[in-house]
Amino acid sequence: MMRILFYFGKRLIFVIPQLLGIVLVSFLLVKSIPGDPAVLMLGPTATPSAIASLREQLGLDQPLYMQFLIYVKDLLHGDLGTSWQTTRPVLEDLIQRFPATLELVTFSLLLAIIIGVSLGVHAARKPNGWIARLADIYGLSAGALPDFWFALVLIFIFYTVLGWAPAPLGRIDMIVLPPMPITGALTIDALLAGDFEAFKSASAHLVLPVLTLGLLNAGPILKMTQATMEKMLESDFSRYEILCGIPQNLVVRHALRNALPSIVTIISVLYGFLIGGAVLVEIVFSWGGAGQYAVQGVLNSDIYPVLGFVLFSAVFSLIVYIAVDLLYFLLDPRISN
Amino acid sequence: MAIAEATSSTKNARSEALSPLIAVKNLRVTFPAGGSEPKEVLKGIDLEVQPGEIVGLVGESGAGKTTLARSILGLPPAPGRISAGEVFFENRQILKLSEPELRRLRGRRLSVVVPNPRAELNPLLKVGDQIASMAKIHLSVSGKEARRMALQMLRDVQIPDPERRMNAYPHELSGGMAQRVVIAMALICSPAFVISDDATSGLDVTVQAQILALLAKLAADHGSAMLFITRDVGITAHFCNRVAVLFSGEIMEMAPRESLFLKPAHPYTLMLLAAFSHSPKLRETWSVPDTGRRREPSAGCQYVNRCPLAQPVCRTQRPPFAEIEPGHFARCHFPVRHA
Repeated sequence: MMRILFYFGKRLIFVIPQLLGIVLVSFLLVKSIPGDPAVLMLGPTATPSAIASLREQLGLDQPLYMQFLIYVKDLLHGDLGTSWQTTRPVLEDLIQRFPATLELVTFSLLLAIIIGVSLGVHAARKPNGWIARLADIYGLSAGALPDFWFALVLIFIFYTVLGWAPAPLGRIDMIVLPPMPITGALTIDALLAGDFEAFKSASAHLVLPVLTLGLLNAGPILKMTQATMEKMLESDFSRYEILCGIPQNLVVRHALRNALPSIVTIISVLYGFLIGGAVLVEIVFSWGGAGQYAVQGVLNSDIYPVLGFVLFSAVFSLIVYIAVDLLYFLLDPRISN
Repeated sequence: MAIAEATSSTKNARSEALSPLIAVKNLRVTFPAGGSEPKEVLKGIDLEVQPGEIVGLVGESGAGKTTLARSILGLPPAPGRISAGEVFFENRQILKLSEPELRRLRGRRLSVVVPNPRAELNPLLKVGDQIASMAKIHLSVSGKEARRMALQMLRDVQIPDPERRMNAYPHELSGGMAQRVVIAMALICSPAFVISDDATSGLDVTVQAQILALLAKLAADHGSAMLFITRDVGITAHFCNRVAVLFSGEIMEMAPRESLFLKPAHPYTLMLLAAFSHSPKLRETWSVPDTGRRREPSAGCQYVNRCPLAQPVCRTQRPPFAEIEPGHFARCHFPVRHA
């Protein structure tokens, strides 16, 4: 136990330089995008002197390293800058939008895990069976289909033709009052508020985007589960369990336990990736999430939303990876040695 | 009444003694060999073990020892498959049984002690739970009772500090201790037949001797018959009632222990004994020839390329498995006679 605490203490110390590095790199990259925010903000009729004074006001006349230092200094005070598009502090904007993305991505990932793990386990049990063949085809096509296209197909079928799904215009019906934000996830907040109407509407809006992301991202989980499970079921300890007359279901369960660390790894990588990777689906469904916000920022030389998003995603990924490390300790007694 | 019961039980014992506990008949196992004809790894094994008997099976690596051990349980190592033959256990042909029926026999009535147990135990489960699960699954006892039995087994296999070892993971055990755990798993259900598959090959010689003595004693205590597979012909001299010599998927010689060690008839057996012998004379006469690449003749004797006594007929005709003395069989055209 002490060793685990010591390990996490060490991990946490490294978080600060990691974050600083991420901020530095993304700052330089965002700054290298051509486009002058002062010109964009003032419009085509602005006089050069007005532009110059705005640039001075925004600190854009400073050398790059000074701009960076000012940004970091503000960061330490919890100030992520202001978006000139929304004219609101980036922190406020992100606190509002990040949970939307997180809710979408989390539910999508849950669906992907259910599909990927169960299909992968069954495929590994009978490597020549029809489920294994289905899994091969599924894994291949899930990797090949673009998500925004798949989203449009689903919208066409379930909204336009069948009319089962609500219009792809946000996270909740326009006429339904959203619940008081507590976690920021509409479904959970609605449940907490006991507002069944809002819960129903929010859930209905989740279905198509979650299907899109879940179905397409189950591919890597499926492949990893299948490959690791096949290896585990062929390993010495599985064969020995069969020689000992252990029932097949139990042998499979034990093999899955041994395969879990690899599966958890791919899930954690996907989780971090999807925060930014879901942006096209967010746009298709007008989700109003953080990814969409960051892309707007990139397109309009509005750098603070972009940097804020990068920072949020980085912190989120680090949290996920630390949680996964903790899981490894629980999953495998050999690691704590 | 008591007398009648006693006589009927002796009668039963006698009739059981007459029919072997396990009888392997003409067992053949083939491995696919890339397009061409599949390679036969077991070439018609015949072997019987009586209840309570310990039969040794000696062979070098690649002779087919593990393939035989696993095929008897209906699980030849992948991608091998049983192409012919029968295995009778208590007069039932078990290779014909359904998978669930076979599963109930494995570990319960027929069990195996594996080599290299640190790789064969599940790395994520405590060894106490792994031993107990055998009793829980096969004997349908409660979890508590199963743990009690597992602890008792750990005591029986003389693991130091058994209470603490119950909660140890396989990677926390030494090779010798893991071997004892596997023995405990093999014997906890008091199986009728135990296969020890080269069980001590990875251990120090002194630990090896301890564990083998323990295994033989426990098998006797549980009333289990045993097939004792090993590479070391010397070991069989200590424990086995009968010894069979396996070479290239064929049993070359089979005899009661004394007969095999005092009057070995097959040149291969002689060479095996010479290799382990302390007698310089025996070593020189039957030294292992430098054969270079091993070729397998298909028609004649499997051993012909390494045999110092080989004649032309050995290349063309498969020698019969002839009884050269009562109970002493050898597969050789020119078995060595002892004065």
